[in-house]
Amino acid sequence: MNTLTNMITPITLDTLTKFGINVGIIIIKIAVVLGIGLLHVAYATYFERKVIGHMQVRLGPMRVGPHGLLQPIADGIKLFFKEDIIPADADKPVFYLAPVIFMASAMVNLAVIPFASNFVIANINIGLLFIFAIAGLGVYGVFMSGWASNSKYAFIGGLRSSAQVLSYEIAMGLSLVGVMIMAGSLNLTDIVKAQGKSIYGMYAIPQIVAFVVFIIAAVAETNRTPFDLPEAESELVAGYFVEYSGFRFALFFLGEYIAMFIMASLAAVCFLGGWTIPWYITKVLPILKLVPGVVWFLLKVYAFIFFYYWIRATVPRYRYDQLMAIGWKILIPVALANLVVTGLLKILL
Amino acid sequence: MTAKEFLRKILFIEILKGMALTLRRLFSHAVTIQYPKERRPIAPGFRGQHALAKDSEGKAKCVGCGLCATICPSQCIYISREKGQVTKYEIEVLRCIYCGFCVEACPYGAIVLTENYEYSDYSRDAIYMKRDKLLSNWDKYMPGKKGEEYFKKFWRPMSEDFGTPSGQATFRGKR
Repeated sequence: MNTLTNMITPITLDTLTKFGINVGIIIIKIAVVLGIGLLHVAYATYFERKVIGHMQVRLGPMRVGPHGLLQPIADGIKLFFKEDIIPADADKPVFYLAPVIFMASAMVNLAVIPFASNFVIANINIGLLFIFAIAGLGVYGVFMSGWASNSKYAFIGGLRSSAQVLSYEIAMGLSLVGVMIMAGSLNLTDIVKAQGKSIYGMYAIPQIVAFVVFIIAAVAETNRTPFDLPEAESELVAGYFVEYSGFRFALFFLGEYIAMFIMASLAAVCFLGGWTIPWYITKVLPILKLVPGVVWFLLKVYAFIFFYYWIRATVPRYRYDQLMAIGWKILIPVALANLVVTGLLKILL
Repeated sequence: MTAKEFLRKILFIEILKGMALTLRRLFSHAVTIQYPKERRPIAPGFRGQHALAKDSEGKAKCVGCGLCATICPSQCIYISREKGQVTKYEIEVLRCIYCGFCVEACPYGAIVLTENYEYSDYSRDAIYMKRDKLLSNWDKYMPGKKGEEYFKKFWRPMSEDFGTPSGQATFRGKR
């Protein structure tokens, strides 16, 4: 009793309350981001099916609720109650672990994405590197699931996916180095602020080459069409998660859509100016200043996600050697050349 | 590779063209027909579920001659007659290919294919059609004028050929 009264002085109590309040705020932020993230995944699938359906002159989901609006909820309930089938010869611990790693590594990235000027869960100064590192970790989930399933399709899918993600990560990293040089920071909030101050308002204009490289690499990184070889339905059934069912499958699904969200927000933050809009637009239409930043951010993110769907509805799948050739022979040299030019301009100007 | 081809390649011209096409399609009307709510209009003379025709007195036209059973390519019609009465007329619908040969072969216009195509069921027995079912199908799907005009519009029963064409010398014996 005596020691306790000695420990808690008014000053430590004050810091403790501050700490407690901070923790509380962070937890609330995490809850908001996670909730929005999960809702996003549910409705991103709906949005995808609608967009691709209409592009193929179909209607997409129409039956569950008005215009099929409750379809994602029905899908979620279905996945939740499905039987959890595990192959007899699967490597069970690895099999259990793989989807968790995959989804967790996608979800952790949500922490460093700045949704608005003062809304980011972890405002760390190596945000960009953090995203790369964690996105790279996601490959372990893919590869482990391929290995643990004891199925040739899953195994080939896992191999392809890891090869693809690793090679495109280089191109993507190099394309973002140009942004880092221009902004002079790895902190995503600082990158957005630097864009707001620049003449163009967004780095997509001076860094157009890097932007194109980034778009292509981002599509490949998330295993989406036309680079969806790891899950090529026609040859590999579904790729690395063939043997997964029920909620484990749902975890992979969640991971994939959150990874898409991360890539889209990375594009929005690094190239399209995040929550800001270019100064020349606000000069013409000053009323747009009243719109909260998070609206612009989400608008950019969903435009990019729409672009993902649009590409999927248009371009057929590449061959595996073409995929590797694009990655290693075109994207990486182009990104390197862009890097050299950006660096030289930065020194000279 | 010429300069033009190179430019086309690095500017993704072909892919952009394709994407313009899909974007245009995004704003076009979908061709989907929402089946139970909307239905495709049925073409006149549609060949759906079978029915045995009745005459104006409500008696079956079928005499059990067996021409339909003979011509049926999938051999799915079973007929038997006893003492001048048709005792059995059954169609195994699951084997029918809806070619309409039976309608064409029938000299009395006794069998028709109606416009009903929604008769799926959970058991084989439920869609194995016996004579009573076939006769009731006529009342259901070919009531009144529709049934009378059906043959005139889409089929020419051969019984009409039996009569002599007008304007030709006719047999003046007992008819």
